[in-house]
Amino acid sequence: MMRLDALERRFLAHVRGGQVFPREWCAQGLVDSDIGLAIYTNAYASRLREALEADHPLLALYLGDRLWAELCAGYIEAHPSRVRSLRHFGQHVPLWLAGNKPFSDHPAIAQLAAFERELLDVFDAADAARVDWSVMQAFDAAAWPGVRLRFHPSVRLLATTTNAVAIWRALKDGQSPPEAQPSTTPAHLLWRDVDRVSRFRAVDEVELLALRSFHSDRQDFAIVCERLARIRPANEVPALALGILRQWFEEGLIASAASDDSAGST
Amino acid sequence: MKDRAVPARTSTPEARASGVRPWHGYGLGLRTEHFDSVLDENPAVDWFEIISENFMVAGGKPRHYLDRIRARYPLAMHGVSLSIGSSDPFDSGYLRQLKQLVREVDPIWVSDHLCWTGNGGINSHDLLPLPYTEEAIVHVTSRIGEVQDFLGRELLIENVSTYVSFANAEMDEAAFLSEIVRRSGCRILLDVNNVYVGSRNHGFDADAYVAALPAERIWQIHLAGHSDYGDYVIDTHDHPVCEAVWELYARTLERLGPVTTMIERDDAIPPLADLVAELGRARRIGSATRRLQPVDCA
Ligand SMILES: [Fe+2]
Repeated sequence: MMRLDALERRFLAHVRGGQVFPREWCAQGLVDSDIGLAIYTNAYASRLREALEADHPLLALYLGDRLWAELCAGYIEAHPSRVRSLRHFGQHVPLWLAGNKPFSDHPAIAQLAAFERELLDVFDAADAARVDWSVMQAFDAAAWPGVRLRFHPSVRLLATTTNAVAIWRALKDGQSPPEAQPSTTPAHLLWRDVDRVSRFRAVDEVELLALRSFHSDRQDFAIVCERLARIRPANEVPALALGILRQWFEEGLIASAASDDSAGST
Repeated sequence: MKDRAVPARTSTPEARASGVRPWHGYGLGLRTEHFDSVLDENPAVDWFEIISENFMVAGGKPRHYLDRIRARYPLAMHGVSLSIGSSDPFDSGYLRQLKQLVREVDPIWVSDHLCWTGNGGINSHDLLPLPYTEEAIVHVTSRIGEVQDFLGRELLIENVSTYVSFANAEMDEAAFLSEIVRRSGCRILLDVNNVYVGSRNHGFDADAYVAALPAERIWQIHLAGHSDYGDYVIDTHDHPVCEAVWELYARTLERLGPVTTMIERDDAIPPLADLVAELGRARRIGSATRRLQPVDCA
């Protein structure tokens, strides 16, 4: 007689559409075991498809039924769930799209998927208090070069080489999406505001460099200005950097600011 | 989190007749679609059941609403991923998250299903059927014990809807569940709809099933709708509770006395007011139960 682990292994293989479950291991009840097993197989595939569709409503719309079904079948086969919550089942979708034809021939598709996943992460990222510009004003001049920023946990930076976000926007508004083409902006910034509304906007190459330096590389103000001076005239950099910083504080992106060179940190 | 809502209705006839079972009244499953209605409408619901996994997130709206709803209503935590019957080792990360959520929510109780959800590290996200064998009893009992020790509290274990039964079964489902309850000390979350679905799919007597369970361990009842395909029934939670399930519920309460009850709805979710109205039927059945008479309570 089969043991529990063998039964579970064979049953799951059947549910996933692989090796069939031995019919002699089933008891014949009122419902034929073929029908009973099919109920589980159908439920498995449709539950995972529904999870993907919940996460990627506009990607599904963009691809149309045939390609969407192809994506679902291919992804479910390639990445069976190893997570406890369906919330994370689709986490490899952008990467899978970037590596599998015909989707990989159109990079806007993977980037549209990546944008939808960033929105999901923004939605339920950790909470944190935010600070306003007065925190910066409290630093004395000597402390400014050493200022480092901690961003709100919901802040995400997505590099975009295509107009995937414009496609997303059009689909969201119920309009026909623009033709896929190279992006006019290098990245998008996404975050959740104080009212828990998810927001996003394009960033230019100057702001992108500032964001990468402050956010991804955790550099201080002096280093950021040094980097900006490589792509902009040095005399313009202080005002440029100040303008960018002020906007971040006003948008609620900053959770704290501290300086290496001063006790006056928050 | 603080300011947890305290269970109300301790002096109703149901509360007086519920015996060893804690009495929390009539609840609903808390669904995202209803977050705002719950806060705006203050519905006449005694408690809400949350799906634990939906709140195992860092922050944002889910946690924001959980905090506020928890301050007004008692909450029960209902999980779908414990996979108590799996031959895989427990996911220790999941158990830690569950314990953390228990600490934050301070629920009236914690429940999950008598099933397995995955094997070999792959999660089906479905409630898959166990073989009713001594081997499975030993396995599930020891796993329930592990979780109960880790959480420092007893679990409620729910009977699931099944569509396949196995040739190596050594007993029926009710005997299987009863024995696990006896050995592990856990309680039962009796899903009356699942009993009905099982009785239709496998041809057992639903009332005999209920009668075979240890009555004093049945702490909660689930009611839900299903899809009836004639030859078989699928537990879909996308319809109102059907007549046959209401009748089985009424007979179950006659047998058990008052049991804390809730309605589950997971698909084709109607406005909150519709579910509150549907819950009113459970209230009426509960208060009409003969077991509320003191003479029957001995
Ligand atoms: Fe249930």
